[in-house]
Amino acid sequence: MADREEVKAQILELLTKSKKPALYLKDMQKKVDAKPREIKNAANELVRDQKVMFWSSGSSTMYALPERAKDEDKIGV
Amino acid sequence: MPKHDTPLLDQLESGPWPSFVKDLKRQAEKNPACWDILGQMEVSYEDKITHWKHGGIVGVFGYGGGIVGRYSDMPKRFPGVAHFHTVRVNQPSSKFYNTKVLRQIMDIWERRGSGMTNMHGSTGDLVLLGTFTEELEEIFYELTHDVGVDLGGSGGNLRTPSCCLGQARCEWSCYDTAEACHNITMTYQDELHRPAFPYKFKTKFSGCPNDCVAAIARSDFSVIGTWRDDIRIDQAAVKGYVNGEFPANGGAHAGGDWGPFNIKKEVIDLCPTNCMWMEGDELKIDNAECTRCMHCLNVMPRALRPGLDQGASILIGAKAPILDGAQLSTLIVPFIKMDAENEFEEYKEIIEKCWDWWMEEGKNRERIGESMQRIGLPTFLKIMEIDPIPQHVKEPRSNPYVFWKEEEVEGGFERDLAEFRKRHPM
Ligand code: SF4
Ligand code: SF4
Repeated sequence: MADREEVKAQILELLTKSKKPALYLKDMQKKVDAKPREIKNAANELVRDQKVMFWSSGSSTMYALPERAKDEDKIGV
Repeated sequence: MPKHDTPLLDQLESGPWPSFVKDLKRQAEKNPACWDILGQMEVSYEDKITHWKHGGIVGVFGYGGGIVGRYSDMPKRFPGVAHFHTVRVNQPSSKFYNTKVLRQIMDIWERRGSGMTNMHGSTGDLVLLGTFTEELEEIFYELTHDVGVDLGGSGGNLRTPSCCLGQARCEWSCYDTAEACHNITMTYQDELHRPAFPYKFKTKFSGCPNDCVAAIARSDFSVIGTWRDDIRIDQAAVKGYVNGEFPANGGAHAGGDWGPFNIKKEVIDLCPTNCMWMEGDELKIDNAECTRCMHCLNVMPRALRPGLDQGASILIGAKAPILDGAQLSTLIVPFIKMDAENEFEEYKEIIEKCWDWWMEEGKNRERIGESMQRIGLPTFLKIMEIDPIPQHVKEPRSNPYVFWKEEEVEGGFERDLAEFRKRHPM
């Protein structure tokens, strides 16, 4: 299982390469090698570091790179 | 002076009932941006589509919930609502706030927002409707530093927990709902402010089965006060009701002409499990059959009270109709103690087990009740390590197939196939 920094790197890579500009935690769980809680903690740390942003419809939440999150019309849910 | 013509909306003012259009126009006199809400809504009524875009990237630093982003898709025409974000403020437990706090919040909201509110949202939050992105951090700072309140939950988070009045005002409460709600809110700050789940997750605390916060209908994790021992009966007070000394239902419904109180008609015959009867002038209850429906206690509060071995039942899975239909919570754990001294440890153990499972197995935008339904109650109970009990059974089995596991069958599944085939050739 990957350590925190590795998990963060995997998340960033996923968010850079994914077709969709924003991803759910569940989308990350399919690709990142860690327990759901660890992925959530790492993703939230990335938000604190301002490398990742939240995108929310109000009822559910996605994560996106700031430069890709600007492309709001393409996010949708 | 109205900024836009709104003939369709104006019709909504014509009935005898209160109208949000009237409210909006009144607020627009103070805050002209509200004219743009009316203007945009009128266009939506004409076009028969919403002109709000869905969601957004707004939030305050470090929080992944509490702000719901909304943007107009006609910002040039309606600049006052180009951004129209909602701020959810975590209500105090049992909504015991004083007018000073309300005035402070409204002062912030008149200065920095539309001045419009929704009191309260279905999760219990004070919902402040409509502000611009650049105001969000300022609002957050003032709410947290000047008023001492925090944002509530939104998105795939634990939503703001809520509770009934509980022991603060209600003699039926089987645990301290306000204390429980506060403790859980503080314990799970991370889950409340930072999205962790496949979808929203609500928990509500009612002190007794009257369920004044509608936990059973409106929360994924419903905590409903109950008792394990016998209903306390004061036979002298029972006689008092029968003799008409005390008004039934604590005097509620007194306006009708119901005639003299009839304990058989109004209490005993309405008990859903038929577990009450009179022996002479004494009221008897077969407590093993009582489903804690609260009817008899509500009618004769002076004579009947909950037992003393008090705690709560945990029911899981209520939700409003989005994917499937609406669904009520299902009883999962019939009784736990809800003690502040042990920090509501039993509650926490169960909720964390639910979360661990749902975070792994729940699908995107699937409420826990839907995940539960997808795998079936027997499997869910196994995951929760709970033995099935009759109360888990919704209805008698309607199919003839029973699937046994090997360990459930005495002697197991081992058999001599050759011997079997001699009797049952293929
Ligand atoms: S749910 Fe029960 S305990 Fe809570 S306020 Fe209502 S009647 Fe009282
Ligand atoms: S609480 Fe309801 S089920 Fe229990 S004895 Fe009273 S009426 Fe009957």
